Amino acid sequence: MEALSCGERRLGSEEEYAAPAVGVSLCDSAPLVWRMQDLRAVRAEGLVGALLGSLPRTPRQNGRLGRPLLLLPEEEGLLRERRAAAALPDRCQDWGGAELRQKHEEEEKRSFEEQSVLALEDRKLALLRAMTGAESGATSADEALRRRLQALDQNFTFPQSAMAVQLSTARAGLSYCPEARAFLQAYGPPGAEPRCDARYQVFRDLRGRGFYLTSAGKFGGDFLVYPGDPLRFHAHFIAVCVSLDESVCLLDVLAVARLGSNVKKTVLLCSPGPDARVCYTSLQWSGMI
Amino acid sequence: MGFSANGKQCLLPEEALYLMECGNLQVFHQDLPLSIQDGYEKFLSANTVSLQQYQVFGHLKRLGYVVLRFDPSSESSSYARQLNLPQSRDRAGRQLKRKRSLSPAPSSTPTATCSRAEAQEECSTEKMEEDKCSEGEEDIKLPEPPEAQSSADEGGGRSWWMMDVLGDSDKDSGHGSKSGSSCWDFSSISFPDLGSTSREHFPSDLAPPDPSLLPGDLKVGFCDIAPWRQKINLRQVKMSANEQKREKYRRRWDVNKNREVRRCRNWAEYQELMARRKGKREGRPAHLWNREVTPLHDPTQPIATGELLEKISVIKPTHLLEGASRLKDADDWRICFNVYQPNTVADFKKSNPGKPYSRMCVCSFDDPVPDLRAIKLLAYQSGDIPVVIAVVDYGDISFYTFKDFQLPTDVYP
Repeated sequence: MEALSCGERRLGSEEEYAAPAVGVSLCDSAPLVWRMQDLRAVRAEGLVGALLGSLPRTPRQNGRLGRPLLLLPEEEGLLRERRAAAALPDRCQDWGGAELRQKHEEEEKRSFEEQSVLALEDRKLALLRAMTGAESGATSADEALRRRLQALDQNFTFPQSAMAVQLSTARAGLSYCPEARAFLQAYGPPGAEPRCDARYQVFRDLRGRGFYLTSAGKFGGDFLVYPGDPLRFHAHFIAVCVSLDESVCLLDVLAVARLGSNVKKTVLLCSPGPDARVCYTSLQWSGMI
Repeated sequence: MGFSANGKQCLLPEEALYLMECGNLQVFHQDLPLSIQDGYEKFLSANTVSLQQYQVFGHLKRLGYVVLRFDPSSESSSYARQLNLPQSRDRAGRQLKRKRSLSPAPSSTPTATCSRAEAQEECSTEKMEEDKCSEGEEDIKLPEPPEAQSSADEGGGRSWWMMDVLGDSDKDSGHGSKSGSSCWDFSSISFPDLGSTSREHFPSDLAPPDPSLLPGDLKVGFCDIAPWRQKINLRQVKMSANEQKREKYRRRWDVNKNREVRRCRNWAEYQELMARRKGKREGRPAHLWNREVTPLHDPTQPIATGELLEKISVIKPTHLLEGASRLKDADDWRICFNVYQPNTVADFKKSNPGKPYSRMCVCSFDDPVPDLRAIKLLAYQSGDIPVVIAVVDYGDISFYTFKDFQLPTDVYP
């Protein structure tokens, strides 16, 4: 979370070395991704997730949200399978210890000094602009301004209350507790069995074919299937996972077909079959013309 | 936001986290500021505020609503609300008005009742028509016995009593008078028609009848008809074309021409037929009303349409809060938040929040759909404020609400 400060800019300074495992931390038993490099890595794997938090620049709107990124259970399962997810420790070591507090105080002091220097420069520039604005000779107001400028260097104080502080979004961004470059051990025992429920099988198969998938609860299905990145495409399919031996009521099929045709998407009935193959049936509403 | 406790201003965890995300608040723990991630992990849990509930909270706050936690104990009972809030008084007033409109209206116009009463009279339909059409006429007296009319019309006689006549017309009168079993042949005896208006049948006086027809030594001379005819009203009835047509049809009407009558083989069957017809005419057919299970309503009794609909309805309408007070609390469905509109739209004060705009209940798409029991419970807890169910789907939030709806009855009393 970055407050608008004139000093620090949070660039992707962690770009130098992308950790091989994505740090996932649990909040209320939901997998969340906080660090910037982790988010980039997740997107690079083709997993979309959902952003939950307020966007730091414009916090009071719901159109675009910011970190954390919530992973679908299928996405977390896929990362786990690829040995690409790691559990982040849930607290900074030695929280409240004297060393951390000292580090924090030092950081604060450094930031304060930087900001006061910049504040003085800002004030001088403002006065100069006010002076050069009145170009018509030396008026009495001009004289006053020049005198103020000279006095500025001596008795300018930058109050502590005017200092901008930075709220870090990820714990890794805390100045006194940097986890940015922590090398994380991927979790899960080697050779862990992939989840065998229908949804996970379908997710894995479609992802393997290059589609991007997000959750489709409000469309009445299991997944929304995009031909590419969701930022560039509209969804083409609504995937509904049905197991092969489950009998489906015709009214449910009609209902989901209606839903799909209303939003101009094809409904995919996906059933994982034996030997890891998934059987797909598409439903499209065709009018009799 | 926030509340004061022990003289200090305090914030609820979801409020603190929201302010942190907006960049307006810094939270310190053991002198060190927390990051947003720390805030999420420390403030949100299944015991306090879950992640889904916080998502809904944040979504609504970013839209501008005022969101407070729901406290079931601080809600006034419906009775208390009735006493205090002006809105509930209005609703009671509205209910009263609705009740008044359902009550049966004062009964129909005089002409309608009059015609119904006439229908209930025991008279044949043709007579009723005649009554109606003759209102202007003074000539025809109401009601006239049907026998007199029919006998005046008869040209040839009815034949059913002729079957009993055994005697022949050739019998000697001397034989006949003594034996008693001799019946007269009425077809050969001429009865004068004094009421006839046609001129040719109008003799000035009548010839004496055959002495064999008279008892004993009675001697009858010529009879002057004129004074008798004066006593009879022989004026021609002025009838319109319609009435003349009706007269013609009536003259040709014969009860024996009816197929059903002909099917009756004896008097008992004929009487049954008459009873059936009477029942049908009056709306109380015997085969329906003579058993143990009778119709719900006697059509001869007046009743308002609304009451009749209620009488015959099988499924009674019910409203959402019926029986809700008897339900025991369930663990799974709980109201989380009260949502108030911001101060620009409605008057919101922390000391006096007023009525919430709606109440929020948070769940996810993996949870089951709330059944009727859960909805009744939520509605009962909420009182008169609609309960909105916010369904969280990994980042998307959809809002659903259930509204109580009464099917309209098309009744205009």
